[in-house]
Amino acid sequence: MKGVLLSGGTGSRLRPITHTGPKQLVPVANRPVLEYAIEDLKEAGITEIGVILGNKGRNEIQELLGDGSDYGVEITYIVQGNPLGLAHAAGCARDFVGNDDFVMYLGDNILKSGVTELVESFQAGDYGAGIALQEVDDPQAFGIADVDDAGNVTQLIEKPDDPPTNLALIGMYVFSPTIFDAIDNLEPSWRGELEITDAIQDLFEDGYEIDSHVVTGWWKDTGKPEDILEANRLVLEDKKLKTAGVVEDGATTDGRIELAESAVIEDGAVVRGPVSIAENTTLMSGTYVGPYTSVGADSTLENIHIENSVIIGDSEITANGRIVDSLLGRGANVGSADELLPEGRRLVVGENSQLKL
Amino acid sequence: MRIITHTCSACGTVVAANELEDNRVMKCPGLGCQEVLRFDDLSEDAREHFLDHRDRYQI
Ligand SMILES: [Zn+2]
Repeated sequence: MKGVLLSGGTGSRLRPITHTGPKQLVPVANRPVLEYAIEDLKEAGITEIGVILGNKGRNEIQELLGDGSDYGVEITYIVQGNPLGLAHAAGCARDFVGNDDFVMYLGDNILKSGVTELVESFQAGDYGAGIALQEVDDPQAFGIADVDDAGNVTQLIEKPDDPPTNLALIGMYVFSPTIFDAIDNLEPSWRGELEITDAIQDLFEDGYEIDSHVVTGWWKDTGKPEDILEANRLVLEDKKLKTAGVVEDGATTDGRIELAESAVIEDGAVVRGPVSIAENTTLMSGTYVGPYTSVGADSTLENIHIENSVIIGDSEITANGRIVDSLLGRGANVGSADELLPEGRRLVVGENSQLKL
Repeated sequence: MRIITHTCSACGTVVAANELEDNRVMKCPGLGCQEVLRFDDLSEDAREHFLDHRDRYQI
């Protein structure tokens, strides 16, 4: 079994965060989203991983993952270039995959329970493909599968008006190498892409059984800022958090706190977990860091009250105010305008930023 | 749709034909690899197929 990890895409819904890097490297609980996928594949016993690169962020992704040895896996890079669809991405991996089965994992997805059960379920039968499903409240907005009592897929429908089930396809698949022949025979869809659901549907029509596995733990597609915050909350909730850094006398802490060895919570700061504070970051007196917040490396916080937020790193946040439900890009600084005249907020805001003042 | 790729002989990075055709001659996108990749590295059959269906490989 091999792994194919998709790391392309434009990240347009995460601008301006993705103006400077690929969406798969946005951190959740201070780790790039993509690392969770690598760990999930490894946990499922998959150590040969093809990483599909699009037009954006190729070097950053290669710099992070390298040859995979830091993660105990072997990585081959596959440059898809133009985003011609998931089936095109899979097809580009044909030479890498060879005659093996493979898991295809969307690199901006994150899920609680990993892919081990999906793989085991696929391996328990003689399937052409296996798909991960999750129950959703708004099936009209998703690709939906209909399944029989044995869990075999009988139909796939994209955003149905009248959904037969509420089981949505999430971005995890297992394929036998027969999928490549199905991809070869595909025609681009109305949007000019090779659709993976069309390839699976073709396998089904050719008589292959398609397995399904319903994922019960949480699953998040981290395509939008609110999804990053939600994923950050879910991971902090579940993750084992270790306090290795310095908590000074006079600091108030409560709950689970991940504090990197070189990070400091100074006298007069208040931290309520679950939170994650990365390397070389200092929380100075008067700072309050509330639940579900991740503060990236090399940052200084003073006076600010922040909760349910992600600060990516290299930031100085020294305003005397409250920040909630926010995502701050690398190098973003928030200072105080209290002493400045005329009274008012002063902004240098990048393209596609969103502010609520 | 036939998907055509080329594998860099120096570093093993796989490159899709649409990427090669965009550039014709390019430095291998494998980080730190100095190999030069060319659209002409593809077999004649692959190149012909690609060029005959070129519009499908654009978006
Ligand atoms: Zn190379």
